[in-house]
Amino acid sequence: MTHAAATVDQMLPPYPAERGLDVYNKKLGMWVFLASEVMFFAALIGTYIILRFGAPGEWAKPGVVLNIKITAFNTFLLICSSVSMVKAYAAIQDGDPKKMRFWLLMTILGGAAFVGIQVYEYIHLIEHGFLPSGVREGSELAEKVAKGELPAATMGLYGSTFFTMTGFHGFHVTCGVISMAYLYFTKALPGKYSKQDYGGIETVGLYWHFVDLVWIILFTIVYLI
Amino acid sequence: MTSVAATAHGAHAHHDDRSFVRKYIFSTDHKIIGIQFLFVSLFFLLVGGLLAMQMRWQLGFPGKPMPGGGVLPETMAPGGVILPEYYIQLVTMHGTFMVFFAIMPLLVGVFANFLIPLKIGTHDMAFPRINMWSFWTFLIGGLVMLSSLFVPDGAARAGWTMYAPLSARHDYSGASLGQELWSVSIIFVGLSSILGSLNYITTIINNRAPGMTWFRMPLSIWSLFITAILGLLALPVLSGAAIMLLFDQIIGTHFFDPAVGGQALLWQHLFWFFGHPEVYILILPAMGMVSDIISNGSRKPIFGYHSMVFAIVAIAFLGWIVWGHHMFVSGMNPTLGSSFMVSTLVIAVPSAVKTFNWMGTMWRGNLRFHVPMLHAVAFVAMFVIGGLSGIFMAATPVDMFIHDTYFIVAHLHYVLFGGSLFALFGAITYWYPKMFGRMMSEPWGKVHFWLTFIFYNCTFFPMHITGMAGEMRRLYDPNQYTFLQPLQPIRVFISISAFLLFATQLIFFVNFWWSLKQGKRAPQNPWEDNGLEWSLPSPAPHGNWEKVPTVYRGPYEFSSPQSTEDYLPQYTKLPTDREPARAPVAGH
Amino acid sequence: METAHKRPNYILIWVYLAVLTAAELALAFELPISRNLKLVLLLFLAIWKAALVGLFFMHLKFERWNLRIMAIIPLPLAVIFILAGMSEHIW
Repeated sequence: MTHAAATVDQMLPPYPAERGLDVYNKKLGMWVFLASEVMFFAALIGTYIILRFGAPGEWAKPGVVLNIKITAFNTFLLICSSVSMVKAYAAIQDGDPKKMRFWLLMTILGGAAFVGIQVYEYIHLIEHGFLPSGVREGSELAEKVAKGELPAATMGLYGSTFFTMTGFHGFHVTCGVISMAYLYFTKALPGKYSKQDYGGIETVGLYWHFVDLVWIILFTIVYLI
Repeated sequence: MTSVAATAHGAHAHHDDRSFVRKYIFSTDHKIIGIQFLFVSLFFLLVGGLLAMQMRWQLGFPGKPMPGGGVLPETMAPGGVILPEYYIQLVTMHGTFMVFFAIMPLLVGVFANFLIPLKIGTHDMAFPRINMWSFWTFLIGGLVMLSSLFVPDGAARAGWTMYAPLSARHDYSGASLGQELWSVSIIFVGLSSILGSLNYITTIINNRAPGMTWFRMPLSIWSLFITAILGLLALPVLSGAAIMLLFDQIIGTHFFDPAVGGQALLWQHLFWFFGHPEVYILILPAMGMVSDIISNGSRKPIFGYHSMVFAIVAIAFLGWIVWGHHMFVSGMNPTLGSSFMVSTLVIAVPSAVKTFNWMGTMWRGNLRFHVPMLHAVAFVAMFVIGGLSGIFMAATPVDMFIHDTYFIVAHLHYVLFGGSLFALFGAITYWYPKMFGRMMSEPWGKVHFWLTFIFYNCTFFPMHITGMAGEMRRLYDPNQYTFLQPLQPIRVFISISAFLLFATQLIFFVNFWWSLKQGKRAPQNPWEDNGLEWSLPSPAPHGNWEKVPTVYRGPYEFSSPQSTEDYLPQYTKLPTDREPARAPVAGH
Repeated sequence: METAHKRPNYILIWVYLAVLTAAELALAFELPISRNLKLVLLLFLAIWKAALVGLFFMHLKFERWNLRIMAIIPLPLAVIFILAGMSEHIW
């Protein structure tokens, strides 16, 4: 500290600054969090790929157990909700909170509908005898296995991976819907977002698009392949 | 960015009118959260140590009633004699507590929380409330794990690595609730680490003080930054694996049960894909803090600052592609095994760079052997021994022979105890004044150091010998094999050393508690160090600085000719120093 | 807030995504081509769709490189893990 007193006011050129990431904390934090989410889903999806690759026999053909039509509609719904999310973001960027509220509400409804349809799908599957542990004895699917339409050896793995992957994706969608509804009622409705301050919308939007992105991968590898 | 924040927070910095609960229990202050982590994980360290003592009793004096063992229930130790079922629980829980609830939170939870804002010059973490949740999820995980010791059929008993299918099926392991609680607890630990890591990364990237450029950051912050990245990407894999294990245990999925198409080897891949980055989570922060302490204790700039940084980055990167070296005898793909062997051997290069740099720092330095410095020097020596035995097992043919023997136990304790824990004792002593405003006792610190150093080596070095002789780890009674019976005197020697080692740690705990109230009042900069945290009074106040300091130089300007003293703090402005230009950052 | 970047045509991206999804369904259930070719094409379409979401909806196309790196870092790690796990079954 002895030198602080000896400071002479010299006009020195400034020490060059480093550019940061040019991103505010919330958004950077969300990107960092999404990186860890990628690894989480990599563990689940990787497990599915590795188990299926090394499975003892054929895997069930797509469309036999799972209802493709309703899931395709669900996929479309999630894509639409992603677009409405980005429209909400664009609206508040232009300084139009009314339009932003409309699109945010659409996103929440789309997400909620997705979760609702998935719950319906689960109930349907369980009724037919498809469980996380495999096929239930004496169910409709058990008859198909007996007839040879479904491979007996891999149905357990199929149930395990299917319910774990889609279940955790559904959990993420639910979290997204809850946090968007929270922002809608505590921030958007009271008019706290503006052209200058829309960090919450952008951040939750990033999360929402990520969830959509994961579903795009899951839909293809679980339902279509 | 920072000047705006400084005025906004400045008003609060010294008028702390928060209630007791907000201040000390549900606190969002990074320093209080760090101290909460410190108390809780020191408690778990003690628990882990007690479990180890019971194991050592059984190995040193098999079949004899343990002193004080009468308090244990019939299902664990009837008449004080440890049962095999209880012994395997001890092994499992010792590993779990030490790795997940002692060393990892001590290094990352305590020091990342406490040091990052203080050393980079900011008022708090980027997300203080998420930071608080990181502590509470950790505490929940720890309590769940602790409670599993008391459930009727006992704690988890598949080793801390929880190899499937032993862990996945209750009829194999004989424990149901204990195994499930283990999985649940690990999911919480994963969540806690992810929340912590995202906070550390965001804070370090965005909230550095003016002039604190990347290559002016202390090595402790560099290593904590890289550790946070490892934790961020590795822990979700563990959480995912633990979730699947939990599903196998409770809802009957078949991920890891080969009887119905699952893959037991997949668990090992998942676990070690997390597990090897975890190894570096457990050592990198220790390396960083030791670098700070050694430079201070040698009164010299750290030797090869940039190479130190690049070595940390290289170790972290290589840490992702070496996990298979834990699985050489698992029956994995041999081609894969060879590539894992090569990548593992490559890690010796950056590790050696760091070791030589530490020695280069001490070379012809004006050495000050204060307690943290003693621990730091011991860290370097023990890390060299642990690192060299690591090269043995990196080579597949050698590992085939020593796999799952006490040689492995010796190696991992040389890096985890001799490495991480020595660094931690040093770091706790070093930053104790900034945490509590008092110094720990220097003479008792030295007594603790020397006794620990001696008994530690007496405990773990002979394990190399018994390991080479073929003694398996996790073995309830080695004497059931005739070829291991002649080693019994060594085991007795190890056990007695271990008891003395444990007793020695009580000196540390007493010193720690006694100094909280009775220690010498700490001056502002007791170690004459350069970091930003030493510009604050001891203990550091809530909100840290009224206005964050400006940084004019790197952190290791010891014995600088520009200064009359032998240190030159980062925040001291010399006439020749240039003011930092304001970086065009978006800010908060 | 940051300076606004060029804005993509979100509706166009939406049309792309919808059409690609329809193409995936047709490919999976209607086209009589070999299973392996189907697998490759379906994966290609899925990655294309995911990339569209990442680049345009998450605005990665308009961010600076050091933020893009944050999003990219986990991907090679995931690939390494999956390839290593799969290699257990081909030796």
